[in-house]
Amino acid sequence: MKVVVDLKLCEGNQRCMEAAPEVFDVRDDDKAHLLMQNPPESLREKVKLAVRMCPRQAITIEG
Amino acid sequence: MSQQQISLENLNVIGPDYYAKNGYPHAEWTYLREHDPVHWCEYPNTDPFWAITKHADIVQIAKQPKLFSIAKRLLIFVPDTPSEPDPVPPFRHLLNMDPPEHGDYRGIVSARFTPRAVRSLEPQIEAITRKVFDGVTGKSRLDFVTDISSKVPLAVIAELLGVPQKDWDQLFRWTNETIGGSDPEFQDGTNSDETFDRARIGLFNYFNNLVEEKTKNPGNDLTSVVAAARINGAPMPQFEMLSYFLLLVVAGNETTRNATTGGLRALIENPEQWERLKKDRSLLKPAIEEIVRWTTPVIQFARTANEDTEIRDKKIAAGETVCLFYPSANRDEEVFENPFTFDVGRNPNPHVAFGIGEHFCLGANLARLELEVIFRELIERMEYAELAGPVERLRSSFVGGIKHMPITTKINPARN
Ligand code: HEM
Ligand code: SF4
Repeated sequence: MKVVVDLKLCEGNQRCMEAAPEVFDVRDDDKAHLLMQNPPESLREKVKLAVRMCPRQAITIEG
Repeated sequence: MSQQQISLENLNVIGPDYYAKNGYPHAEWTYLREHDPVHWCEYPNTDPFWAITKHADIVQIAKQPKLFSIAKRLLIFVPDTPSEPDPVPPFRHLLNMDPPEHGDYRGIVSARFTPRAVRSLEPQIEAITRKVFDGVTGKSRLDFVTDISSKVPLAVIAELLGVPQKDWDQLFRWTNETIGGSDPEFQDGTNSDETFDRARIGLFNYFNNLVEEKTKNPGNDLTSVVAAARINGAPMPQFEMLSYFLLLVVAGNETTRNATTGGLRALIENPEQWERLKKDRSLLKPAIEEIVRWTTPVIQFARTANEDTEIRDKKIAAGETVCLFYPSANRDEEVFENPFTFDVGRNPNPHVAFGIGEHFCLGANLARLELEVIFRELIERMEYAELAGPVERLRSSFVGGIKHMPITTKINPARN
């Protein structure tokens, strides 16, 4: 699975990091950074939760 | 209204009188979610619209701002008489702008509203909140709205904007009149339009002067940031700038106030949840989310289709409006387990009380922090509270408001 964050939309709300800390890290620039581009299947549910919780709907899963 | 009496032909989910009398039409929304989640509505005094009641549909619509415009119709407004014109040519601010312009305007202040940025305001918010509670310490009877919940949000935004304390009361009055213009208590003109216009002009003139002052002597406040802003290299036009302030003052006020009031009410009505929260402060954050879901202070915003499209089995024609009923989405059985249970430990809680997507509430993190500080103080200092009379509701189908909530209570002095 590939994860993409639209940085133009992202406003550092941190919800992604709460849902899937293995994958998302919101840094001092108030943007979500990906700790892995292709998270393993075992993290799919967590990433799906992040997609859902992101208030700006900035995260998409490809594949 | 019980489920049996409801039918698609007779239900009304937009009349302000219904809201004043009964509060939110949850029975009707539940009926719609089950029988006709995308429901065509024709009512007197307002143009027809589709009522959107499912969580998934609201998310889908809100994340497609190019297909669904907010600029064409911001919300469903129901004036008292058919002759009143829609009073909304007025402002131009980020809430009623579409992309790409919307992003340019939102970007001016968005960095001031991230969780990281608002966290730095915590000491100021604590000081404001503590003072409000100190003011009612020892009083056994109060109106929770006028004495407590209305005071904090206004003070916080006034502080953020750099408005001097002596002007806060006046600002408070204008704000009430701008949002509650269709409620007789807040009318000082002969009708809602007149009250609304007068308040708006008052706010415009006030901020016009403040901008002048902050342009000469800029500070670290939001007014200075907006006053210095450039849009595509040019200064922001005056009308847009004043609309910006109006939005900031109004948007965070009645909403946070009503979440606070409704939150205490929910705790009073669910004493076991109050106890749970008292015993385990780590529940404060999820409790705030649940309070916001439970109260969902903003009832609706609208979008208008730019092209023919479909939602579920319904064909939406270009030019038709969809009305997003957030409180309905936040009781959606497909998303929330036991949606009609108030559960301070609910997690995850993907409510849409702050909207979602392009126009997601700019002040959400600020509102969350305010609520956190208020309820922390409340849990610490309010020994108990009981309703001491009926709550009075605002006559509005836009912001769900409790105007007055008399309580008997015991508020202790601050510990240190
Ligand atoms: C519990 C309190 C609050 C609730 C329930 C709430 C709710 C909402 C909702 C539902 C929207 C989205 C509108 C849409 O999608 O069409 C919104 C937008 C907005 N809110 Fe809040 N709000 C709250 C507090 C605040 C505060 C404290 C501020 C302070 C500045 C604020 C400022 C704004 C602004 C500026 C927008 C427009 C954003 C845009 O269009 O990009 N709100 N709010
Ligand atoms: S939740 Fe969305 S907006 Fe917030 S930091 Fe993560 S990607 Fe960005």
